Amino acid sequence: MNGPSDTQLTRLEQLLGAARTVTDSVSLIAYEVDGVRPAAAVRPASAAEVAEIVRLAVAEKLAVIPCSGRSKLAIGGVPARYDVALDLAGLSRVLAYDPGDLTLGVEPGIRIEDLQRELAQHGQFLPLEVAFSDRATVGGAIATNAYSPLRAGFGSARDFVLGMEFVTGAGEAAKSGGRVVKNVSGYDLHKLLIGSLGTLAVITRVNFRTFPRPAETRVLVAAFAAHGAALGFCRAIANSPLEPRVREMLNPVAADVSGLAPQFPADGATWRVVISAAGSAAVVTRHARDLERMARDAHAKKFESLAGAEAAAPLRAVREVVRLALERSPAATILRIALLPASTGAFVENLSAIADGANLDAAITLGASGTAYVALLPRSTRWADTSGTSAVTGSGTATDTASGASADGAESSFAAAVKQILESVSNETAGGRGFVEWCPTALKRRISLWGAERGDFALMQRVKTIFDPDGVLAPRRFCGGL
Amino acid sequence: MAQGRAFGPRESKNALDPKLIRGLKKLLGHDAVLSAREDLLLYEYDGSVEIARPECVVFPRSTRDVVEIVRLARQFKTPVVGRGAGTGLSGGALPRAGGIVAVFSRMNRILEIDAENRRAVVQPGVVNLDVTRAVEHLGLYFAPDPSSQKSCTIGGNVSENAGGPHTLAYGVTTNHVTGLEIVMPDGRVVRVGGKTSETPGYDLTGLMVGSEGTLAIVTEITLRLSRAPEAVKTLLGVFDAVDDATRSVVEITRRGITPAACEMLDGWTLRTVEDFVHAGFPRDCAAVLLLEVEGLAEAVEEYAAEISDVCRANGAREVRVARDAHERDLLWKGRKNAFGAIGRLSPSYYVLDGVIPRTRLPETLRRVEEIGRKYDFRIGNIFHAGDGNLHPLILFDPRHPGEFARCVAAGREIIQHCIDMGGALTGEHGVGMEKNELMPLMFSPEDLAVMTRVRAAWNPDGLLNPQKVLPLGKGCGELRVLPQTVGSALPA
Repeated sequence: MNGPSDTQLTRLEQLLGAARTVTDSVSLIAYEVDGVRPAAAVRPASAAEVAEIVRLAVAEKLAVIPCSGRSKLAIGGVPARYDVALDLAGLSRVLAYDPGDLTLGVEPGIRIEDLQRELAQHGQFLPLEVAFSDRATVGGAIATNAYSPLRAGFGSARDFVLGMEFVTGAGEAAKSGGRVVKNVSGYDLHKLLIGSLGTLAVITRVNFRTFPRPAETRVLVAAFAAHGAALGFCRAIANSPLEPRVREMLNPVAADVSGLAPQFPADGATWRVVISAAGSAAVVTRHARDLERMARDAHAKKFESLAGAEAAAPLRAVREVVRLALERSPAATILRIALLPASTGAFVENLSAIADGANLDAAITLGASGTAYVALLPRSTRWADTSGTSAVTGSGTATDTASGASADGAESSFAAAVKQILESVSNETAGGRGFVEWCPTALKRRISLWGAERGDFALMQRVKTIFDPDGVLAPRRFCGGL
Repeated sequence: MAQGRAFGPRESKNALDPKLIRGLKKLLGHDAVLSAREDLLLYEYDGSVEIARPECVVFPRSTRDVVEIVRLARQFKTPVVGRGAGTGLSGGALPRAGGIVAVFSRMNRILEIDAENRRAVVQPGVVNLDVTRAVEHLGLYFAPDPSSQKSCTIGGNVSENAGGPHTLAYGVTTNHVTGLEIVMPDGRVVRVGGKTSETPGYDLTGLMVGSEGTLAIVTEITLRLSRAPEAVKTLLGVFDAVDDATRSVVEITRRGITPAACEMLDGWTLRTVEDFVHAGFPRDCAAVLLLEVEGLAEAVEEYAAEISDVCRANGAREVRVARDAHERDLLWKGRKNAFGAIGRLSPSYYVLDGVIPRTRLPETLRRVEEIGRKYDFRIGNIFHAGDGNLHPLILFDPRHPGEFARCVAAGREIIQHCIDMGGALTGEHGVGMEKNELMPLMFSPEDLAVMTRVRAAWNPDGLLNPQKVLPLGKGCGELRVLPQTVGSALPA
């Protein structure tokens, strides 16, 4: 791989000036993707500057990866080329906020936490509570279609993003959608950008619909001895008139990794369901009452109802479980799987068998919207029965038993497990879809992160060509090497 | 819908190659191909003021049929336009450049109801309300509810990304479609999305929904079903001033109350509707708000009380609550049959679909009234107030020379106002052939260039629903000379 020439770097530096162009190799470590270090990082402050940078990249054939908080930069394939990090942290303004209309327009580099604070002053919020909350930005959350447990109540980004402005890989500043809550004018190009990992365009503005903060929030944590009971509880909720905003089920490993198990110990109970109910006092009380009855009917071992400051911890646990798994082991491999509710039970059983077969631990979280996260971790002594279906028996700190084995052997077991999981979720009867969101670079080189290619791949290639004809944006990072 | 026509029917200058007609008859059978002039007349209009006559109408029974139709059409370089029930309000299903209209009335099967996963798989010709009827015994329903839901089809809903009163709380069609089977212009069949709530890769389903038949033809749709709410309450706020009604909407929104629906009818419109439907709207008021709250019983009670308070605080003379399902249905009957009622009074009307930020409702309705006075038209207002989606109805008589052009000019002024407020050209009716020349009011040449490239990549010969959505410009790969239309009648 040949990096950009000095002449090219000089041209780049001329665009924004030396102060906003990083070229020293130590500072550039922070922008590495899969061990590939760019030759420069640039920090534009406007959409016009972003367009200039992309146009220069097209002219000079430089590969650009957009980023800002860099908490999710590791998601995606090993970049084929990576010359310039396009750091959008300087585009962090709220461009329009009309609390009365519950609509908002922001630049991509704004931190979600900062934005939520501003919205809270007007009694509103954005249902985008994603992992790495201290660093995550709007642009990154949209470009990775980051999972938010609030999906149960508010849908995913495609349901509350109203429109976007962006710079295509051809350097055109364009937009689609609008700023109002209802609009069918023109093609919904912005939907293509959600989850596209920056491979089509650089997002420069996102318009959202905002939501009123509830008067009260109650968090309910139920613990069960086995996955069957926990699933039965979840099914009962889905078939009830209740409208929880969050409903996440965690297996024993996930409960431990997320910190939920230590915070809410339950003897002989291993599976946990975390629910958030919000609204008026009457609505919250109704949820708490009905859920307690349903939990009892499903033979819950424990049921806790938390309000105020106490309620924050379990919500943080389900939001940050992926991050905590990644922090637990450098080998952690995280799969994101879209499941059909009807196949959830079989999924849990298959997955436990696959993890056992590969001698790995699997932290599983299952969201009400059908999104499951599986974090494969080196097997620890901590869980006596890692099938995840029985109680936690140890309480020591995790120790990687795999650390003694050769790195290659460990990698092989991860690779085999990933392949089996993706195959088992996507077969005809299961009807699910999955991909690997995070894993070590070495593993990325051995496996297909996106599962089997599907019949619509040729259309996706066309989309890529329309937006990024010269392949300057995050080359080969997306699905099937797009 | 009963409407007068703005223009006389256009006689086709491009008769189809008899070989194409023979080929279609051989493929589909004689009873599935219409090509006689008197048969084609039925298909030259939809719910809009537009008109364009096909040279041939076909009735596919399967995806296979659609594939063969598209292939034959391509061979003869003939446009293909899909059509459901023809209730569209922007000319989306009209063959603007002539050619073949594929009517989906024989592809009207519900293929699968998957209650556990809350999905239904349907063919495009299934009528919107029939989906709900098929699943309501399971406590489920299909949320998008266009006013024409008793006749409009899911295929049309998907193409136009249709809305309806209850989309305020539940979102429009795109929020309720998870997968599609599509036929590309070269006859390839592709599945995008699926039953799961997300799929790795670009969101092609999201791109397809609302693309108005210009990218591919949809032959199967996977729908998300919703669970019926525990409680419903329908309220009617009665106002002596339009401003009081619009200010109530602003306040309801500002307080963060999201009713399932929040509809407004102005005095003239509600009187017209009342004379026809006898829904119980008070004839002597200036405006009514038809509001519905749904969900948990506790929430419904509280929201209904709060909404009543807001309406009264803003000058409502009365807030009625529907006592039972019968009263509720009657109020909705009034709302959903409104266009039909107006059709009894006026030879024709032009219905707009602009969207504004909800906080700008009061000034916008005043502006609409001014524009009506300026152009000397009666403009009725019956619309989705809760999401700022206006439907000004400009009544005109196409028999009076120049009146239609004046009506279009008034419409354009209203749309310009919506866009100046930060709003949108169309909220749910689609761009079609009616508003494609207005797209530059909202989108820059760069925005339109990207959209044009998308269409060119998916529909390279421009044979699928040509001359729709995007402004007609040079180099768009479009076919044939366009007939006189509303869009082209507009000043540039």
